[in-house]
Parts: sequence; C-alpha cells; structure tokens
Amino acid sequence: MSLSALRRLALKGALACALAASLSFTAHAQENVLRVSAIPDEAPTELQRKFAPLGKYLEAQTGMKVVFVPVTDYAAVVEALATKKIDLAWLGGFTFVQAKIRTNGTAIPIVQREEDAKFTSKFITADPAIKSLNDLKGKTFAFGAPSSTSGSLMPRYFLLQAGINPEKDFKNVAFSGAHDATVAFVAAGKADAGVLNASVWEKLVEAKKVDTDKVRVFATTPPYFDYNWTVRGDLDPALVKKLTDAFLKLDPKNPEQAEIMQLQRASKFIPTKKENYESIEKAAQAAGLLK
Amino acid sequence: MAARPHDPAARSRLIGTLTALVVLWPLFQAAEVRPGALFDPANLKVIGNFLGGFLPPETGREFLGYLGTATLETLAIATAGMALAFCLAVPLGYLASGAARERPTLNPLTRGLLTILRGIPELVWALVFVRVFGLGPAAGVLALGLTYGGMLAKVYAEILESVDPAPAQALRRSGAGRPLAILYGLLPQASKELASYTVYRWECAIRASVVMGFVGAGGLGQLMDQAMKMLNGGEAASILLTFMMLVLAADALSGLLRKGLDTPPAPRATPFGWRSALLALALPLAILASFRGLNIDFTALFSTDAARSIGEFLGGFFPPDLSAEWLRKVGKGLWETLAISIVGTLLAAVAGLLLALPRPHAPFGVLLNALRSVPELVWATITALAVGLGPFAGALALALHTTGVLGRLYAEALDNTPPTPARALKLAGAPAGLPFLYGTLPAALPQLIAYTLYRWEMNIRMAAILGFVGAGGLGQLLYFELSLFHYAQASTVIAAMLLLSIAVDQASAWLRRRLG
Repeated sequence: MSLSALRRLALKGALACALAASLSFTAHAQENVLRVSAIPDEAPTELQRKFAPLGKYLEAQTGMKVVFVPVTDYAAVVEALATKKIDLAWLGGFTFVQAKIRTNGTAIPIVQREEDAKFTSKFITADPAIKSLNDLKGKTFAFGAPSSTSGSLMPRYFLLQAGINPEKDFKNVAFSGAHDATVAFVAAGKADAGVLNASVWEKLVEAKKVDTDKVRVFATTPPYFDYNWTVRGDLDPALVKKLTDAFLKLDPKNPEQAEIMQLQRASKFIPTKKENYESIEKAAQAAGLLK
Repeated sequence: MAARPHDPAARSRLIGTLTALVVLWPLFQAAEVRPGALFDPANLKVIGNFLGGFLPPETGREFLGYLGTATLETLAIATAGMALAFCLAVPLGYLASGAARERPTLNPLTRGLLTILRGIPELVWALVFVRVFGLGPAAGVLALGLTYGGMLAKVYAEILESVDPAPAQALRRSGAGRPLAILYGLLPQASKELASYTVYRWECAIRASVVMGFVGAGGLGQLMDQAMKMLNGGEAASILLTFMMLVLAADALSGLLRKGLDTPPAPRATPFGWRSALLALALPLAILASFRGLNIDFTALFSTDAARSIGEFLGGFFPPDLSAEWLRKVGKGLWETLAISIVGTLLAAVAGLLLALPRPHAPFGVLLNALRSVPELVWATITALAVGLGPFAGALALALHTTGVLGRLYAEALDNTPPTPARALKLAGAPAGLPFLYGTLPAALPQLIAYTLYRWEMNIRMAAILGFVGAGGLGQLLYFELSLFHYAQASTVIAAMLLLSIAVDQASAWLRRRLG
C-alpha cells in the first residue's frame, strides 16, 4: 500500500466514524414499547425463558410491545430504571430501596408475590464440619451478588446479629453473582459455604439440579420482605394501573396463566407499597451497605 | 594444585538470590501462596469434574445462536471502539507530540490526560460506563475508545517524535504551519509504523472486548462469564474455542495487513491498486456496520437529561472517601494487588524460561500458545477451583497466561543470542549447565529482563481487575462498592489503581535502566 493511500485511508476512517456516529443518532427509542428488565439473580438465559410467557401476557393486557432487556449486573437495573431506559423491573427488596433512593423516591412498587412477604434465605454447605453459623469462622463464604437482598444483605445482617462479621471472621468472601451460581460454588468446593434465597434453592432441589446428599441447608434466616415488580415514577398512571391489574388478576385456574405463575414461582400476586421495604432499608444501614 | 572447575560467581549469585527471596517473602505471604493446595486431592477432583465437562463442547442450536450473536458483537465492539479511539487519538496525539514544534515543549496538560486515560484499565472504564449507559455494548465501545485512545495518542506522538525531524523543520522555516509540516514532513516517514501499530491495537481490542464482557459490556465475554459462573464446562469449551479462532483470525488478518505495508508500492502512475481500493471500501463499511449493528443510542450521551444524570453520577465520585479506616482497607487491597502481580510475573518468568530452554521448541510452542490464548480472567475461574478463592488463584491465573507470553518471547531472545560463547565453554569441558549459565544467559539477560518488566507493567493492571472474579485485591473492593453505589469509596479505589499503575511503570523503567 502506498503512503498517500494510507493518509487518505486515515481521513476516510475519520469520516466514516463521524458518519456512523451521526447515523446512529436516528436510532431513537420507539414509542409504544414497554421495556422490562429483571435483576439477574439467576442465569440470564433462565431469566429470559421465565419471562417469555409473562411478556406475551403483558402484551395482550396493555396492547404495547413488550421487550425484555437482559442484564448481568444488579446495579445496572437500578441505574437503567433511574435513567428511564426501562419502564418495569423485577427488583429485590434491597435493589428496590436503592432504586427508590436513586429516583428520589419516585419509583413505585406495584405488586409482589404472596411468598415475598415472608421470604427467607438458606445457608448451605458441603462441609460435614459446618453445623451452625458459628462454625463458619475461618471459612471461605460465597454471597450472591453484592446488592442481592436474599443472597447478600439480609444474610449479612443476620450474620452480624449472630456476632459474625463477614469481613473479619471469614477467610475469604466471594460474590458468585447469582443464586444458582452460589450453589455451583459450594457444590464444587470453590467456597466452603454460601447463602441463597429459599425460592431458588427449592426450585433447584425440585429440579434435582443439586445433589442434596452432598450440599445441605444448615441454617435459615428469619423472614423478611423481598422481591417486587417496580415501575418508574413518571410512567402514565393509566398504564401503571393496567400493569398492576394484569398481575393481580393472574389466575392459577387458567392453564396459560398457571404456567406464567409457575415460572414466576408465585401462588398469587398481591399489591405492595413502599412502606413494606422500610425494614430492609434499616437493615442495609445497619449492615453498612447503605451510606 | 588441581583446579577444580567451579562457578566463580556462585557466591555473589547466591547472595543475590537470597536477598531477593527475603525482599519478596512478604509479597508471597500477601499473595497467600500455598503450592500444597494445588495437589489437594479434593481440589483436583473438583477441577477434573469441571474440565471433564468441557467435552463434548455445547453445540445446541439455541446456544450456537447466542454464540454467533456474541461473536459478531465482540468484533463490532472492537471495531467501533477502535474507530472511536482513532478519532480521539489523532487530535490528542497532535497536541501531546513535541514533533514539528519550534521549541520542543511537551504539553503537560495533554500528557497528564493521556496518563489518566491509559492508567485506568479499560475494564474499570467499562464498569463505570455500564452504570451510565446501563446495558450492553455501548459501555464496551466507550471504554475501549477512551483507553485505546490514550494509548494510541501516546504512541502516535512518540512515533512522530522519533522520525527524522529535518523535513518538517525545513517546511516550518519556509513558512508552513505545524499541521502542514507534520502532514508533509513527518507523516510520509511515519505512516507505515503508525498504521502497523493501529492494526496491532485492533487485534488487542478484540481480546480486550472479550474481557470487558465480564462486567456486562456484551459480547463473548458476557457469555463466558455466565458459563464460568455456572461451571458449565460444555458451554465454556465452545466459547473458548470460538474465542481462540477469533483471535487466530484477527492475528492472521493483522499479519496480512502489516505485510502489505512492507511491500513497496508498484511502479504505476497511480499509487492506488485494487487492494487499497478494497481496503478503503471495507474499512468504512466495517466501521459503519459495527456502529449500526450495536445500535448504540448516542443520544444517551448528549440529551440534557442524560448530561445531568452523567453529571450527578460523576459528581458522586467526588470527593473520594479518604477516611483513615477506608484508606487502610484500600491500602491492604493495594498491597495484595501488588503481590499478585509480582508473584504472578515471577512464577511466569521461571516457568517461561523452563519452557523456552528445550530444543526444538515445537511441542512446547503449542503449549505456550494455548496458555497465552486463554484470557487471565478465564484462567482465574479455573485456578479458583484449583486452590480456592483468594489472591493465590489470581497470581496463578496471571502466571499461566504470562507464561505463554514470556515463554515465546524468551525462546526468541535465546535463539537470537550468539551461540559461540556457550560452544566455546562446552568445548573447554565445562560441566553441563555452565555453558548456558555463563555463555548464553549473560548475553540474553538484558532482553529477558526487559520483557519480564514490560509484562509486569501489563500484569499490574490485570491484577487490579482479577478481583472481579474473586481473586481479592483492589478489583474485588471496586466491584463491591460500585454494586452498592458507594461512589466516594469506589473513587478512592480507582485513584489507588491509577497510582499503582503509574508507580509500577516508573519502577519498571528504573529497573530496566539499572539492569538493562
């Protein structure tokens, strides 16, 4: 290649990026699309599989196109809700508190599963020597994502109450990122013990995805409020009402809707309100996760 | 008196080694080096199970679909990121370079900016941008654009300074402005090197865009992260194979392009051949397709609403948390990161040397290439299974990848060392080993040390981010604090990373001068 050709090439390259940049300006967010996301508390492929029928149902109920936006990071969901990149999100109790703070209190929780009003976390291990929380001192321990309610915040809060400080008393702390990954960590011996939410644990046990002879539950937390569906505060109130009603009228007797509820692991959806999550906010402050 | 052949420098070398060991001991402690854990039967079984799951690689239709999309996304991120980096590097390089200036003053402001852009690992930029853009590849493109923009600008500036300044000076004295003097006086001499480096960087960008997927910036890395977290061996194997093929293809393409630059232009009336035309067509198309394919919403950067949210976001980083308690914690992370980088590099230097020694190189060459083509973050997920989570896993991961890189460089350096001194010693009857120690090593040593120190500079940046997958150090702190929106604390960690990488650059340059 000749020298002057190179120079031209460089200029053309610069021109091309300018052109490409200006073209992408035209790619505006479409109207009449409901963008939904969920904290990635399980493998993202699993989340998409779980969401597909619910998405179709919401499309029918609202008359809007429903798009699921997969995410690998809890905080990204909160940030996306705050910057209005998504309209509706499946949040954990603590991520809801974070979203509430980041949106200056405007994010509205609309519904939760009946199970979420009395949620628990399970401490699991594959080490026969670990029989209680006190045996965890000096071991490696896996939380889920740092901002998970049932995989990090509430277990941490209850550990602190039991006199165990994760930063000082554990040999190493890992964040697996998701509840099913925590089980994989513990089953493989990557961590001596771990904690995850009761609902995912039961699902994995039912599906025989975990060898219960090897990995066992050795402690359970007291109950607390967890997951909900949250909308951003400036969404059209009529649409918010439609969405709320759509969830509330899901009926397990209807086979199609029963499938949705089974995938969401819900026996029933019930209305929820911000006040339900005040105790989580207090726990987060006590555990030093909220400053 | 019968002269027994003995090593005349044995004592000083022994003392040197012992001193080094004493100095390095605390570092090995901080990296929690426990070689025993490697051979623990329980751990071996865990690893065996995981690696056993690699066969057969996953070939489900749905998964292959994801894999295809992710591969295209990775390519597009690298290409779009490079385009952005290029647009950034040209003006910055122009400002930073002392070339074709009347007085060779270096622009400290631009140089400082470049140091910051380069000093913060692209993974950290990506992590930050994932928060601003939320989801997907836009974060990766911007992160690549900024870091690589910084790197390109610095190298462009230096290349322009390194060529013969006479033509540019002549142009300036006859009244040409600086841009014209550079364009006609310096660029013709430097263009080949500039283009060659840019192409090489694009190749690196592909590797980097894979790594950035680990923090949610899309592409193959994101898929790999999920497979690794779920310990899904079959998927991991497929992704790894795809990744290796991608890197090989990029290697080949970049080699081809660089070879094209080395061939002198054909003696024709017009310097354009069909190859130049094809390239001039393909390049803008590739860039355009990348940006379109990624569907990046740049309005997110420029709307007033977004400007405010980015402003608030960045504002949250100031002032950094400088409380004594937090600084102590960051200090501990800093020490651990330093230890991981040094231990990892040293282990790699030893292993690399051992693998570079035997001749012929061929069987070991394959091993070295395999070690090299697996990214450190992937090694880290495997070593964490082998020795448990913690800094030792990080050091081992660095060591495995770096062994591949250094082994190859060492082998080349040793091959290029004149063989005569070693042969002379051998013929004079020196016992086995000594011809190498006294004939070959002294001549090759400066080169070996330079390569090692250069890798150490890269490894310190990598060590800082290995924490994202549980290898301790600054990375884990940063991941945790960013997840919880503790920006003041995160800001201290990023500053610490920056300081550490600058300090290591300086230390390495100083050592190279002393030892080289």
